[in-house]
Amino acid sequence: MIYTVRLGSLSVRLARRHLLIGMGLLLALLIAGGMALQLGQFDLGAGDLWTAYRGELDKISQMILLDHRLPRVLVAIGAGAAFGVSGAIFQSMLRNPMASPDVIGFNAGASCAAVLAILVFGSARFVLPWALTGGLLTAALVLLLAWDRNGKSGIDPYRLILVGIGASLTLGATSDLLMSMTDEQRAADMAQWLTGTLNARNQADAALIWGGLAALTPVLIWLQFPLNRLIMSDDFVHGFGLRLAGLRLLITGVGVLLAALAVSVAGPLPFVAFVAGPVARRVLKTGAPVLFAAALVGALVTLGADTAARMLSVVQLPAGVFTAVIGAPVLMWLLVAQFRKGAL
Amino acid sequence: MSAEPRLAACELSVKFDRTTVLDHLSVGLPDGQVTAIVGPNACGKSTLLRSLARLQKASSGQVILDGQSIAAQNSKSIARRLAILSQSPVAPEGLTVRDLVLRGRTPHQSAWRQYSVEDAAAVAAAISATGLNGLEERVLDTLSGGQRQRAWIAMALAQDTELLLLDEPTTYLDLPHQVELLELVRKLNRETGRTIAMVLHDINLAARYCDHIVALRGGQIHSTGTPQSVITQNMMQDVFGLSCTIIADPNHGTPHIIPT
Repeated sequence: MIYTVRLGSLSVRLARRHLLIGMGLLLALLIAGGMALQLGQFDLGAGDLWTAYRGELDKISQMILLDHRLPRVLVAIGAGAAFGVSGAIFQSMLRNPMASPDVIGFNAGASCAAVLAILVFGSARFVLPWALTGGLLTAALVLLLAWDRNGKSGIDPYRLILVGIGASLTLGATSDLLMSMTDEQRAADMAQWLTGTLNARNQADAALIWGGLAALTPVLIWLQFPLNRLIMSDDFVHGFGLRLAGLRLLITGVGVLLAALAVSVAGPLPFVAFVAGPVARRVLKTGAPVLFAAALVGALVTLGADTAARMLSVVQLPAGVFTAVIGAPVLMWLLVAQFRKGAL
Repeated sequence: MSAEPRLAACELSVKFDRTTVLDHLSVGLPDGQVTAIVGPNACGKSTLLRSLARLQKASSGQVILDGQSIAAQNSKSIARRLAILSQSPVAPEGLTVRDLVLRGRTPHQSAWRQYSVEDAAAVAAAISATGLNGLEERVLDTLSGGQRQRAWIAMALAQDTELLLLDEPTTYLDLPHQVELLELVRKLNRETGRTIAMVLHDINLAARYCDHIVALRGGQIHSTGTPQSVITQNMMQDVFGLSCTIIADPNHGTPHIIPT
C-alpha cells in the first residue's frame, strides 16, 4: 500500500509499510531511551524530566538527570543517527555495503585529527573543527586517489574501498603513534576516546550533535531523490540527466560532515555506520537508501551499546566495545552474503 | 524525412587509452524509423550508441542532437528528448515494476515533485504499452527474463522521449522473447512515431524488424541503408568474414542469411 501526497506542485509517495516500520523503530527508540534514563544509582527516570525541567526537583537529582543522564542519552541517539545516515549515504552512493565511513577511513581521519588536538591542547573540548578537518582531508585524499580520470563518473567505487581501507589502517597506526608520545594518563584517555565512548557527555555535546542534525535534515530529505537514482548504474544516472560527479562530491561532503559530527561527540564508535544501513534495508525489505530508518537503527545500536556498557561493566567500558561486538557478526554476515552473490 | 536527422554523429572518434574504438565516423539516425546497428564483436556498436546518448565522451568530432552539439547541451534537457537503455541493466533489490518504471520519469521530476499527475499517467501508459498490466506491484527479481526486459523498456518509455536507444535489448532472451520484444519495439515506433535505434546481434531479426541498418566494422561505417541494400553477401564477407547465401525470408520477404 502506497500513499500519494499531492499539494500544489509538491508530490511524494509514501509506502505504508515503511511508515509503520519507521514508527515501530521510533517507538523502540523511545522505550530504550526511557530505560537508559532510568538506569543508575538514583531512582530517577523519564517521568521526572518535566519536574526537573521546571526546577521542582532537588539539586542533586536535577543535576544527575539534566546534566548527566539526559545528555548522554541524547548524544547516544544523535551520534548513532548521524553515523547511521552517514553510512547509508556512502553505501548507497557507492553501491557497496562495505563503503561506510568507518571502513573507508573517514572516521579514522576524523579521530586521528581529534587525537592530535587532544595532544596539542590537552583536552577533548574543541575536537569538532579538528575532527571535521581530519575527516574532510582524509576524504579528499581517498577520493583523489580513487578518482577515475578516464570515466565520467568521478569515483571508482572499488578503488575507493581499497584506498579507504588502506587509509583507515594508516591513520589508525598514526593515532597509536600519537598516543605513544604522551604520558600514561592522557594516553589512557585517548585510548578510551578512540574506542568510542559516551562517558561524561554534557549538554554542549548534545546541543552540537542535535544542532548539526537539525541543520542537515532538509539536505538529507532532498538527498533521498538523487540517492534513489545513484543506487542504479552510472549509465542510468547520466542517462536521466543527473550530474554524477557533482552529486558524488556533494554527497561525500554531507556524509563526512555527519560522520565528523558524530566522531567529535562520541568518538569513532566502530561499526555503527556500517551496520545501520544494511539492517534498515533488511527490515524494510528494500534496496533503497532508507536514510530515516538507518538513522533510527544507528541510534538504537548506539544507545543499546552504551546502555549495555553501563549495565554490564564494573569498570566503565567504552560503548565502542559493545558496538564492535554487535557489528562484527554483521560484517561477517555481509561478507558471506556478498560472497554467495559473487560480488566479492 | 527531413534533410538533417535529429540525432547524428559527425566525424566522431572515441579512444580508450590508445585503442581507437570509433574512427572518424559519421552517421545519422533517420527520424521516425527503427535503426539497427550491427557488426562483429568489438566493432564499436555499443560505443557508438553510448556516444549518441552522451554516455561516452568523444575524443574528437561530435554528436549533434537537434542541430547542436550534445556535449554543449544541458543533460536534463537531453534526457527529456532522448532515452537510453544500457546493456543488461541491474536494479536495486526489492524494486517493484511500478517503482522501476517511475525512475524513468527522473528528468521530469524533482525532490519536491516525485509523483505528479503526469508522472502517474506516463507510468500507466508505459506499463500498458509493454503489456505489464497486473504486474505493477511485483518485485523485479520475481519476473521472467522477458517480463523483466519489458519492464526496463517501460522505464525508458516513461521517460517520454522522441528518441529511444536500446543497447542489445534481446541479450539473454530466448527466441520467442526476442521476437516478442522486437514486435513491441516496432509497434512503439509505428504507433508513436518514436525514433528508435538499437544494437542487435541477430542480423536476420534486424532485417525483419528494422527500417534502417547501420553496419559497423573496425570503428567505421561499412554501409547504411535499408535491410535489402545493406545485407548482402559482400557486406557479410567484409564485415563479419562470413560467407553465406542470402535468401528472401519466406514469410516477410526480408533478407535472410544462411551461412554456407
